[in-house]
Amino acid sequence: MANYLAQFQTIKNACDHLVIAVEDVSDLWPTVKNGFEERLPFKRACLNNKTRNPVFVEKLPAEFILTTDSRLRSRFPQEQLLFWFREPYATVVLVTCEDLDEFKTILKPRLKLIVQNDEREWFIVFVSRAHPSNDQATKMAKKVYAKLEVDFSSKKRERCCKLDIHGPEANFWEDLESKIMESIKNTLDRRVQFYEDEIRKLSEQRLMPIWNFCNFFILKESLAFMFEIAHLHEDSLREYDELELCYLETVNVAGKQRDFGGTDRGADQAALLNPGNKPLTQIVQDDSFREFEFRQYLFACQSKLLFKLNRPFEVASRGYSFVISFSKALALHESIFPFCMREVWVITACLALINATASHYNGLVSPDIEKEFYRLQGDLYSLCRVKFMRLAYLIGYGTDIERSPVNSASLSMLPWPKPAVWPSVPSDASSEVFVKEKMILQETARAKHFAIQRKPLPLEPSVLLREANRRRASLSAGNMFEVFEGRPSFIDGSGSDISSRVSPSPKVHGISMSRTNSSPMNFESSIDRPMRLAEIYVAAEHAMQHTISDPDLWKSLSSVKEFEQKYLELTKGAADNYHRSWWKRHGVVLDGEIAAVCFRNGNYDLAAKSYEKVCALYAGEGWQDLLAEVLPNLAECQKILNDQAGYLSSCVRLLSLDKGLFLTKERQAFQSEVVRLAHSEMKHPVPLDVSSLITFSGNPGPPLELCDGDPGTLSVTVWSGFPDDITLESLSLTLIATYNADEGVKALRCSSATILKPGRNTITLALPPQKPGSYVLGVLTGQIGHLRFRSHSFSKGGPADTDDLMSYEKPTRPILKVFKPRPLVDLAAAISSALLMNEPQWVGIIVRPVNYSLKGAVLHIDTGPGLKIKESHVIEMESYANVSQSTMDMANCNGAENNGTLAVSGEFKQLTLQDGRIELPEWASDMTSVLWVPIRAINDSLARGTSSVAPRRQSIVDGMRTIAMKLEFGVYHNQTFERTIAVHFTDPFHVSTRVADKCNDGTLLLQVILHSQVKATLTIYDAWLDLQDGFVHTRQGDGRPTSGFFPLVISPTSRAGILFSICLGKTIAEDEVKAQHPVHPDSILNIRYGIAGDRTIGAHTPMVVESTKPNGTTQDLIFRSALVLQRPVLDPCLAVGFLPLPSGDLRVGQLVTMKWRVERLKDFENEVSQNNDEVLYEVNANSENWMIAGRKRGHVSVSTKQGSRIVISILCVPLVAGYVRPPQLGLPNVDEANISCNPAGPHLVCVLPPALSSSFCIPA
Amino acid sequence: MGREVSESCVESLLTEMVSSYCNQFYANKPELAARRIEAIGYDVGHRLSERYTMERPRFSDHLEAIKFICKDFWSELFKKQIDNLKTNHRGTFVLQDNRFRWLSRMSIDPSPENTGLSQDSSVALAENKATQATNMYLYFPCGIIRGALSNLGIPCAVSADISNLPACSFVVRIKA
Amino acid sequence: MIVCVAVVGHQNNPLYIQSFTEADDALKLHHIVHCSLDVVDERVNNPKKAGPTLNETFLGLLYPTENYKVYGYLTNTKVKFILVTTDLDVRDADVRNFFRRFHAAYVDAVSNPFHVPGKKITSRTFAERVSTIVKSFGLSSAG
Repeated sequence: MANYLAQFQTIKNACDHLVIAVEDVSDLWPTVKNGFEERLPFKRACLNNKTRNPVFVEKLPAEFILTTDSRLRSRFPQEQLLFWFREPYATVVLVTCEDLDEFKTILKPRLKLIVQNDEREWFIVFVSRAHPSNDQATKMAKKVYAKLEVDFSSKKRERCCKLDIHGPEANFWEDLESKIMESIKNTLDRRVQFYEDEIRKLSEQRLMPIWNFCNFFILKESLAFMFEIAHLHEDSLREYDELELCYLETVNVAGKQRDFGGTDRGADQAALLNPGNKPLTQIVQDDSFREFEFRQYLFACQSKLLFKLNRPFEVASRGYSFVISFSKALALHESIFPFCMREVWVITACLALINATASHYNGLVSPDIEKEFYRLQGDLYSLCRVKFMRLAYLIGYGTDIERSPVNSASLSMLPWPKPAVWPSVPSDASSEVFVKEKMILQETARAKHFAIQRKPLPLEPSVLLREANRRRASLSAGNMFEVFEGRPSFIDGSGSDISSRVSPSPKVHGISMSRTNSSPMNFESSIDRPMRLAEIYVAAEHAMQHTISDPDLWKSLSSVKEFEQKYLELTKGAADNYHRSWWKRHGVVLDGEIAAVCFRNGNYDLAAKSYEKVCALYAGEGWQDLLAEVLPNLAECQKILNDQAGYLSSCVRLLSLDKGLFLTKERQAFQSEVVRLAHSEMKHPVPLDVSSLITFSGNPGPPLELCDGDPGTLSVTVWSGFPDDITLESLSLTLIATYNADEGVKALRCSSATILKPGRNTITLALPPQKPGSYVLGVLTGQIGHLRFRSHSFSKGGPADTDDLMSYEKPTRPILKVFKPRPLVDLAAAISSALLMNEPQWVGIIVRPVNYSLKGAVLHIDTGPGLKIKESHVIEMESYANVSQSTMDMANCNGAENNGTLAVSGEFKQLTLQDGRIELPEWASDMTSVLWVPIRAINDSLARGTSSVAPRRQSIVDGMRTIAMKLEFGVYHNQTFERTIAVHFTDPFHVSTRVADKCNDGTLLLQVILHSQVKATLTIYDAWLDLQDGFVHTRQGDGRPTSGFFPLVISPTSRAGILFSICLGKTIAEDEVKAQHPVHPDSILNIRYGIAGDRTIGAHTPMVVESTKPNGTTQDLIFRSALVLQRPVLDPCLAVGFLPLPSGDLRVGQLVTMKWRVERLKDFENEVSQNNDEVLYEVNANSENWMIAGRKRGHVSVSTKQGSRIVISILCVPLVAGYVRPPQLGLPNVDEANISCNPAGPHLVCVLPPALSSSFCIPA
Repeated sequence: MGREVSESCVESLLTEMVSSYCNQFYANKPELAARRIEAIGYDVGHRLSERYTMERPRFSDHLEAIKFICKDFWSELFKKQIDNLKTNHRGTFVLQDNRFRWLSRMSIDPSPENTGLSQDSSVALAENKATQATNMYLYFPCGIIRGALSNLGIPCAVSADISNLPACSFVVRIKA
Repeated sequence: MIVCVAVVGHQNNPLYIQSFTEADDALKLHHIVHCSLDVVDERVNNPKKAGPTLNETFLGLLYPTENYKVYGYLTNTKVKFILVTTDLDVRDADVRNFFRRFHAAYVDAVSNPFHVPGKKITSRTFAERVSTIVKSFGLSSAG
């Protein structure tokens, strides 16, 4: 049946549409032809597909053919069956008739005859020529047609339709078309049915020996073709798929190996897209289908249909897998093929697929399909690319192929071609060999930048030289191994350096000779010795030239340039398509390959761009090994382009890669580059980010704590990733305040150049005073040479963040804490009680550091008015502890005199005061201590005694002195503390007097009361009284007290009294007063006393000035106080009497009138005085106790006669309750000696508290 | 497959951890202690999720992952499943365990019975302190949940609250 | 034979990559593994393509190239295992089995508290386990 194949194919190629037969009974065709044919092709045909489902076909092409036409000559029946698809699908019978008899007699039998052949689908078109005007004729036509219908149409099927040529043909054509369609559909169904039955029959006996694939094929393809011309492409495609399946199952089974095919000329060009490439007769030989051609043929048919179905995507996907699988098939039969046939076929196949699909592709698909499509394109391109590279490598262009991971991955895992016999050098090729030799010798493995030593990646599964020679000497490969023993250079992948060594050494020769002798078959001499690489190249080249029939492909292999161009084209194609697909990585990696070529061609700009992308990809996902491969290239580009910034950053990135990836030497090279650039003049110096390389962290442990305003030193750990020490001209680090935002970043700079060792470094930075808050490390900046760099990253190597790994967000540890302002020190007076006035005294100042060191503190002391520091004397300092302790035992031995206590606790430090500054000693820096400053309060006014009745009015201020102190401390004396403390001074005693008794002999006993004012024991050794004149001591003595019981000891704040007996003496007249010894207005009490006190308590022995007597025995002191003694009244002229108060006692707030009576005791003769009857009076009262209404001072007239009297009354209100002195009436103009008062001395009145007024109790 | 430890060991370890973080390392700053404990939990959950998702297909959506937490993960950890899962379908899930194992042996000292204005406040205060203490123990499981989920590619924030011991509900808020 | 196995983190960063070739051309295997991530992404990003094996951890054959095969496995935690083998007829069952054991080894490795999640796996025991698994590849499910 195979002999039909040729016919079959010609028929197939002949007809591409279905046929409709026209039985032109009463030759009408010429008249209706146009009308019919302009219906073609049929729009919206409705057909049944194989599964009997209606399918709508747009534009079904068809042709009307007269049955008389030669093309429809009847054929042999089985032929008809085979090629049934070309038989008419419908038969249109054209008839016309004017009268019934003719119809009955002639037409009807004839028609019967025509339509009896039943398997035809027929129907009758009655054409009436009758003109509508001629209604007689039309009536007749109607009649005839009616008859026709009666005769031929049946219930189930309407087989007639009527066409009026002249009349309106409104619905005729639809009718016609529907009829035609009906027929076609029926025919199609019937034929499909038929084919299927046939095919089923065949497939049932598929496993029997009589099985003949050829028949199956013809039937199957006929069916497929029938579907195809019926535009049922889906079904057609399915048929082809089934056909292929069946083929692979039945034909390809082992055992019945047949001619694989593909050996004839031009087979190397894949024909997987045009079915007509080879006539089937050649594909099928003696009933065996040559797989090589046939599978391509099938695929071609399928792809044709797929394109018709507008599915280029599917073509691509099917195509790719077809190429892969088919290339495997080729590998099985590689021995029968010319050299590298397989590779060439794959290349051409891929290219063909790419072009066809790309040209058919219109992006009218869903996006994911689109991506998929581009991915497939990319796959095809890269597959093609790989094979192409393989070919190029075989003919010696290998050195122009980048030994990149991608190329290595694809080539080194791709087995060498396995031809039956490896091509050998043609005899006349010596010149070419020579050329290749030269080429090999010239080429030098391009040294990588930075002198990086890398073993180049292999581009070959095994060394080509060895492979080739081994396969040539196909018998005993073993010898060849021996040949290449001791040649490590063969093992490594670099084919470049082999040539130098491959000149056949005698050893090689010997062995190979021996082998040839021993071998049965004899090779021609060229094989005797192993070929050299150049020879292999040449041989391969020649072989390929025979293999490759495609001139373009051969051209692109003809020279390195051509190769590179093609290579670039393929790579670009792959890359671009991948970029448009999901496979970004593939795309980018291939960009890298393009970059390599650009680089070689000096197009550094482009190369850099592409390398950038690749590096970004690898860096982004942390594939450091791969990055380490590409980054140097990028760096080199940047260097050549003089892109310093880029170059620098590349170097830094190289340095910050894993240490293991580069040799130390190489890393040093990177560093030296960085340093070199840094020190060279850069045109556009850019800050360099070394975050990956120099990292930093605070030292582990608690943060540094500082007080407000204190400077400090911060020590930071810096990790350097540089392989060698690197010198940083400057280095500064910013602190970021965590809490207060207003506090921006503070830069700390380490001014001096620092040298970073590789690995961990500790750097200390001076820390100026910071605002309160807590700070974290910010950014590290600095300079290498002229180059500013910055690093943002906290140390990863640093131990600080070991437990931060687990909380994945890294808490930035505060590195510095600055506290809010707080009191750091306190100065206070050590004693509260008074010190001795006018005597050198110790004043104690307590210096209390509030857990803050006073190291090197300086105290400025400035005394206020009336106070002097005794410069002459040293200042003492001691720790406060033993002061308090000493005060304690001071207390035990209550007030007894031991001033030695402090001396005993011997840790005084003697300090000296220079112009008001004292430097506090070291030991006192952290402990509370007391500073004893020798001072002296000056008060030159004489102390005044008071009379006992008038309680002494003590004002605090006159004993008060101030000491202003300023303490400068802190690390750089930046802290100051100022305080003014008040020290109270007083006289040792306060003296008051009263007349104890008045003897009748005029002797007065004067009692002097001494109040001790100090917290120290006073001892009175002696006391004497210098009386004012008018008084004399009774005994003409020295004015010592009546009874001498000295020494008299007065314990702190107690009193003692001394008695003097005095009497009045005559007053001396003024004039002789002048002459004689100076008169003292009032009498002076002199007291010689000693004091035993402790400075820690208060007043104490004045310290001895050095010169005076040794061993500080207390020297006596003199205290002088003035007393006022009143002479009694001698010759009273006026008497003032305080009239008793009205009955009813005084109450606070109650008005009361005070009355005095003034009476003249004697006549007043005095000429000189005018208005002598006037007396000036004055009421003086303690304003705290009394409110006085009315005139306090005024004149009253009292007649000069003796006995004249007058009463002065004053209205006043007592303000305080208790015993108070009432107001007193005084007469300023009159000498006190002439007034006798009654009562004589001052007296007291009782004032009651205010009476409860009802208004307080009852709420009104 | 994996080796196992006695439950009591785990619980005492938890108590020990909490106490040492709260009372020793970060005695003065509880919030930091809480963060640390949570972080430990995160780490544990992160690793555990690796193991317990081993033999199962990948989760297609968040709900599946949460369900995994509620069912298998929980029963791996606590031999029981979460009792009740609620969600607002906008990324918030409430996982309630009516008898949370790590709280089952925990008791808040009963508040004094006598009621009085003065007592009342102190009682409230005591309870307040008690809940604070308990919460410290909940940071660890919260961390575990967060770790597990984030390892499954669901970044979220997890908080817990104890309505009445030993019931406990964990609130998972998925970060959009 | 298996030439390379790799663990790739959920950010597509290599966590562990071990090649079993004697020649030191591991880099090309790095490349293969890295590029295979494209396929993983593709599978994950449009699940329609994943088809029946929807959300199954075993991704099956990633690369149908002529001369080597790449298999993929994607855990629930978006960690990828990649297997590169040069023998061209591999039974799926073997690969599945391999990945299952590999996964177990991985889980044990990352459960080590000293392993920092997301960082490279440096444990030696893991390496040893992996190599044993690789050696026994294909033999195990023979029975």
